[in-house]
Amino acid sequence: MRKHLFVPLFAILITSLVLAACSASPVATEEPVVMTEQPTEALPDPLAGYLPENTSGEIITAGSSTVFPLSERMMQRFEEEGFTGAITIDSIGSGAGFERFCVNGETDIANASRAIKDSEVESCQSIGREPIEFRVGTDALAIVVSRANDFATDVTRLELAAIFSTAETWSDVRPEWPAEPILRFIPGTDSGTFDYFVEEIFDEDEAPILSASNLQLSEDDNVLVQGVLGSPYAIGFFGFAYYQENAGALNVLAIDGVAPTAETAESGEYPLARPLFIYSTAQIMQEKPQVAAFIYFYLTNVNYEIVDVGYFPASQEALEAAVDAWYAAVGLQP
Amino acid sequence: MPGKKEAAQGTGYPVRKEGLRKRRRVGETIIQSLLFFAGFFSIFTTLGIVYELGKEALLFFRTPEVDPWEFLTGTSWQPHINEFGILPLATSTFITSLIAMTIAIPLGMAAAIYLSEYASHKVRRTLKPILEILAGLPTIVYGYFALMFVTPLLRSLFGNDVVQIYNMASGGLVMGILILPLIASMSEDALNAVPRALREAAYGLGATKLEVVLKVVVPAALSGIAAAIIVGISRAIGETMIVAVSVGAGPNFTFNPFQSAETMTGHIVRISGGDLSYDSIDYNSIFAIGLLLFFITLTLNIVSQRIVRRFREVYE
Repeated sequence: MRKHLFVPLFAILITSLVLAACSASPVATEEPVVMTEQPTEALPDPLAGYLPENTSGEIITAGSSTVFPLSERMMQRFEEEGFTGAITIDSIGSGAGFERFCVNGETDIANASRAIKDSEVESCQSIGREPIEFRVGTDALAIVVSRANDFATDVTRLELAAIFSTAETWSDVRPEWPAEPILRFIPGTDSGTFDYFVEEIFDEDEAPILSASNLQLSEDDNVLVQGVLGSPYAIGFFGFAYYQENAGALNVLAIDGVAPTAETAESGEYPLARPLFIYSTAQIMQEKPQVAAFIYFYLTNVNYEIVDVGYFPASQEALEAAVDAWYAAVGLQP
Repeated sequence: MPGKKEAAQGTGYPVRKEGLRKRRRVGETIIQSLLFFAGFFSIFTTLGIVYELGKEALLFFRTPEVDPWEFLTGTSWQPHINEFGILPLATSTFITSLIAMTIAIPLGMAAAIYLSEYASHKVRRTLKPILEILAGLPTIVYGYFALMFVTPLLRSLFGNDVVQIYNMASGGLVMGILILPLIASMSEDALNAVPRALREAAYGLGATKLEVVLKVVVPAALSGIAAAIIVGISRAIGETMIVAVSVGAGPNFTFNPFQSAETMTGHIVRISGGDLSYDSIDYNSIFAIGLLLFFITLTLNIVSQRIVRRFREVYE
């Protein structure tokens, strides 16, 4: 009789343990919420509610792998300033970031290395989201080769188009270059960097670049860096920050005689300079003050960090316009 | 009737049986239904997977851009520009698996024969768990082992110009190391199951140890060994993380193991890693690849069951 009782009792014990573990976790997360309310009421300053130390909760962001290092740095700074909640940043490409923001509605912020497309705005609106654009910086898309490559230092736009499409060997591009196959490492088809490159170099036609031989595509820019480092005959492109992180081992090519620098990127002289964005909506920012707080912190502090991360500041007007858009979204007067 | 009842009471046996039947055993019922659900659950999951794969793959094959014949014979896979030829992915899967099996089968067999026939009890007791630890390592670790150790080794042996940084050879070799303990362990079980009497009879006829092993024990265990090899092949075809990390990230139609390519599983992992819209044809295409993979491993499993049944030698 005892033996028979033992098994169901044991089952009940385990079930109750599991239930106890489940119900224990919400208690732990409730605490910080209480903390956020008090200082807001105590301080008259309307911005106090948006200080990092006064907010908590979840912030979910996803999108461009180019914007990723910048957002990651801003997240670290935000946490250093006293934010106690959890921020997640997924580096999955701009297109996939908009997919999760506009179609699934899972994320609070979409990171993007290109402006949102009309079709994406439409899918956002169909789930009741009205995206707001915040310009955060400027990238100079870097065309890179390995340090071991001693022949290529600058290319024209036409040569660039040949290198990333029909040319089989380097000598097909310029006769004096070696007759070795070109190994191509490019961002995946849903990344904003890919979209931007195709738009600038191939006039929005993806077929030539995707039909190229020896082509490797990855959303993970570190995979591309590894690949380019692997051979003197490899070439790739990605955001300037990934070049700068590996500047000791990579050479960046000048395009039409213009090398990517802070000056040429800001002036627009470098042909592949492009804006970086984050997107959110007024509704999300009002419902989740921590999201509004993060964006405010991002916009007002990005210029202290952006050069160190490897990108270039956006113009003063663009940043001011972004801050104005933030005030309008949360319903405050600047 | 009363006579019968009396007879029953006379033996005493059926009466006790009746009493037993009346007592409800709650614990037993609960356990039985739990076990039933456990069995049902795994079957239901399998059915669910087949249904989902089939549904999405059907969407893919129904789109006008896709020609099933071209899907099986085309040599270029770029779903983004409507090129759907599975061959670059299939050859890469085939080549990496082939390399893996040329490592895993001979070494795995040799290890199994040593452990089962030659090793002393003590050696066996230490070696087998170590071999099983090798099988328990997360495959992502093997992937970086391939990329960070095997690839540089191959490049220093054959030259940087010959061996690309991402290549099929290193992924295949490391996959072989991963599958080796699986084959060794399963074959060793099969060899161990061969009755002692068979060995002793062979020794009695004057056979040497090597003769006993190769001519008596291995043939007797053949069905188990064949099953081990086929399980190993399915594992190689389905293996994902090693090839995703070390083999490359672009479909490339090549038979040169030192070049980069992308296997079917590696492609699925890269494409589904957030880089796709859910309603696009690229997204549906990965289910078609998944379905093909499913059929390949299903066929292999059926073949392995046939082999086991056909060559099994039963000793009482």
